[in-house]
Amino acid sequence: MNINFTKMKKLLPILILSLTILSCTKTQFEDRVKNTGSIDVSNYISVGNSLTQGFQDNGLYAETQAWSYPALIAKQMKLANPNMPDFKQPVAIGNGSGYMHLEYIDNEITPIRPSDPTYGGPYREDPTWSNWEDYVKGPKYNNLGIAGIQLRNAIGLDNNQKIYNHVFLDGISTLSVQGNPYARFLDWGDSPLLFGTPKEYVDHMRESNATFFTNWLGNNDVLGYATSGGDEGEFTIPFVGTFKASELTPVAEFRQKYDSVLSALTVNGAKGVCATIPDVTSIPLFNTVTLESLGKDIWIYENDGSTKRIAVEGDLILLTALTEIEDNGKGTQNDPLPHTLVLDKDEAKLAKDHTVLLNNEIKGLAAKYGIPVVDTYEILKTFESGMKMSGIDLNIKYVEGGLFSLDGVHPNPKGYAIVANEFIKVINQSYDANIPLIDITRYRSVIFPN
Amino acid sequence: MRKFLSVGLSTAFSIQLFAGGFQINQQSHKATGMGGAFTGLCIDASSIFYNPGGLYKLKGHQFTGGFTLIDPHVSLQTDANDNIDQTTGNATPFHFYYSGQFINEKLRFGFGVNNQFGSSSSFDDDWEGRFIVQNIGLQTFMFQPTVSYAVLDEKLSIGAGFVYTTGNFHYEKGVPLASKDNEYGKATLSGSGSAMGFNVGIFSTPYKLEKEDYTFSVSVGVDYRHKLKMDLDKGNVDFTDIPSSLRDKFPESTGFTSSLTLPAVASGGIALTYEKPEKFRVDLLYDLTRTFWSSYDTLAFDFENTDTPDSKTPKNWEDVFVHRIGLNITYKDFISVRGGIYMDQSPIPDGRVSPELPDNSHTGYTAGIGVNITENISVDLSYLRSSFERPNASLTTEGFTASYRRIVNVYGIGINVKFGENKTTEAPSIE
Repeated sequence: MNINFTKMKKLLPILILSLTILSCTKTQFEDRVKNTGSIDVSNYISVGNSLTQGFQDNGLYAETQAWSYPALIAKQMKLANPNMPDFKQPVAIGNGSGYMHLEYIDNEITPIRPSDPTYGGPYREDPTWSNWEDYVKGPKYNNLGIAGIQLRNAIGLDNNQKIYNHVFLDGISTLSVQGNPYARFLDWGDSPLLFGTPKEYVDHMRESNATFFTNWLGNNDVLGYATSGGDEGEFTIPFVGTFKASELTPVAEFRQKYDSVLSALTVNGAKGVCATIPDVTSIPLFNTVTLESLGKDIWIYENDGSTKRIAVEGDLILLTALTEIEDNGKGTQNDPLPHTLVLDKDEAKLAKDHTVLLNNEIKGLAAKYGIPVVDTYEILKTFESGMKMSGIDLNIKYVEGGLFSLDGVHPNPKGYAIVANEFIKVINQSYDANIPLIDITRYRSVIFPN
Repeated sequence: MRKFLSVGLSTAFSIQLFAGGFQINQQSHKATGMGGAFTGLCIDASSIFYNPGGLYKLKGHQFTGGFTLIDPHVSLQTDANDNIDQTTGNATPFHFYYSGQFINEKLRFGFGVNNQFGSSSSFDDDWEGRFIVQNIGLQTFMFQPTVSYAVLDEKLSIGAGFVYTTGNFHYEKGVPLASKDNEYGKATLSGSGSAMGFNVGIFSTPYKLEKEDYTFSVSVGVDYRHKLKMDLDKGNVDFTDIPSSLRDKFPESTGFTSSLTLPAVASGGIALTYEKPEKFRVDLLYDLTRTFWSSYDTLAFDFENTDTPDSKTPKNWEDVFVHRIGLNITYKDFISVRGGIYMDQSPIPDGRVSPELPDNSHTGYTAGIGVNITENISVDLSYLRSSFERPNASLTTEGFTASYRRIVNVYGIGINVKFGENKTTEAPSIE
């Protein structure tokens, strides 16, 4: 054996060097650069309805309001820009308005309303809710979402509209007429009914001095009609007139008011994002109770409230009709379902077509202001046939679908996180921003009963 | 009645298992040092595995045993998380082979035990993809009694082994159902099974040039290892932290049946050997391997509990080629230095890349050293490194997209013992 160890010694440094290179096992990804691009997030203002306010399970309550989609967007923005101020919301205290939950009764998973005398207790309206305004009125908020508000309530085009909007939002204190309970965190000025000067929703937008905004108004301009089964909801104010609280907002009126809203929000040159109106027939409120699931004929009243007929395919029976059918025996020839609980075939088509018309207005006006649009209409459509995200099955079915809360209209926390991600994607794309997306697996769907 | 709606629930329960190549190719540390090319060369008992047709070359009784340390590092980046590390630990597969010369010069009997397939992956329990996989592991043991016969001596020898395999796997994932007490539930599956197959090979040295001070030879080999369809008929799944209202669908425990096909592998190899006796020897090797991953196309779970939704996951993997090139230089019958590279195609098409075993076509580099401690005992050390990136790879069936980085270091040590090498078995003479 004749090995030259001196030669091998010379090779040693090379050997050590190559071993050092080879022993490198760093696979970790560097943190991505995060920023908010060309937008100024120092005053992010969100406007919209219940979806924006964080409403779910047919209620506004503290736990889930923290997961409203604007709050979630703001949280992600703050990751990209730690100097962003806190996003302030008018948060309900405790149970707030009360909310629905599920119970396991007789081997059935059963949704329970907070008013239910047996099971509703722990989910009942919070004692502070009746005077919530005492807790929330005053400070400036970033989230201006108001459950139940329609775009048409944002501004009055004439004095009668101003009166109606003010009554709808603030009530008439002198006559003890209650306004929208979810609007109590804002000051609505003096009643024009008493010749005062109201403060309109659009005024709040203008005075918010938004540097960035999200605007998801318009849903209730169709949904109000749909959830009333096509009833236009006559609302009479003595000495003033009768208003149609839930008619489909006429396109021309919608156009003019949406323009006013964008004009108010962009008054200081703010950038923002708008969103379209989802198809009402994509939500569980309208697609859970079907003739197939009931397995029997259902009699319904036509819109005139007196003509009755057998429900046919295409008539959309509201989720809320089920109590009437199962508990009160309605839906028979002798006792048909009231027309407010069925969005019949023709009304459903009207609602669908009107949604498309209003969405065209939203897209057109947003383009006019150079504001990008989150097409929630199309996004919800993609969930109709079901899809998976991070191993989780998601579809538009009631309870089991994983997207909607127990009211069948509003998303659950996971659903809101998905909505927030869609907004963030559009912000990133349109404003050259790098705001991280939300890990949606951190947010639950509905809570199943034990 | 209080209830105003009864809710049906058909939450699907789907399962992903091993969406990556999970073959362990380190079945000899000589071979590993040379890029894994070993079908056309037979210099130790690991040919039981690589090509039983070549056992004719091994004289006397030879043993080869080895341990491998596989040290994987895998990181992911998703839209929501900058970095996620797998927490997978090291794997330590082993192999043992024996070849013995009996009866006459032409016949060999042998036996092999190894872990030809296996893999494990772990993540932190609360990671983003926990509803796809939290922990998963598969372990197989192959037992292969083998016989080899030199039909035309050096010109042609054949070998065949019967393969008996046992395997077990475990798999944990989250179940996305929340209750008041738990954010989500968990499913823990385990199962075991066995399968039978075979391993056949042909070996030939068609060309040999013997000069006074050197020899040069060309040898070729082909080998085919049949697929192994492992029936897992006594599987068990435990569901924990499930809301009690959903216990009919997800009971505390239920059985399942499934099956798992370990793919067939076909290899062809060529070896060029130049040797100056007492001075040095050089081997240049090339192997082409085809792994028939397409046989691993679906993984179905049929649960005993009728309300638990059965699960069938399409795989659609692709058959792949691997090219292997190796070089061995042996100095004075004492020390061998080896190197090699291999070019591995990924069997996983786009849209089927799963976080537990991400894969991509890549080139791996190997090196090895062998030392003959005594005439009969030698030791082999091998090192293999592979790394790849796979950006924006999706697992469409689960709705999961990530960028992947993987570095694997594989260290191996093997020992070879032989005796009776020079013995010539003579036919018993009859007086």
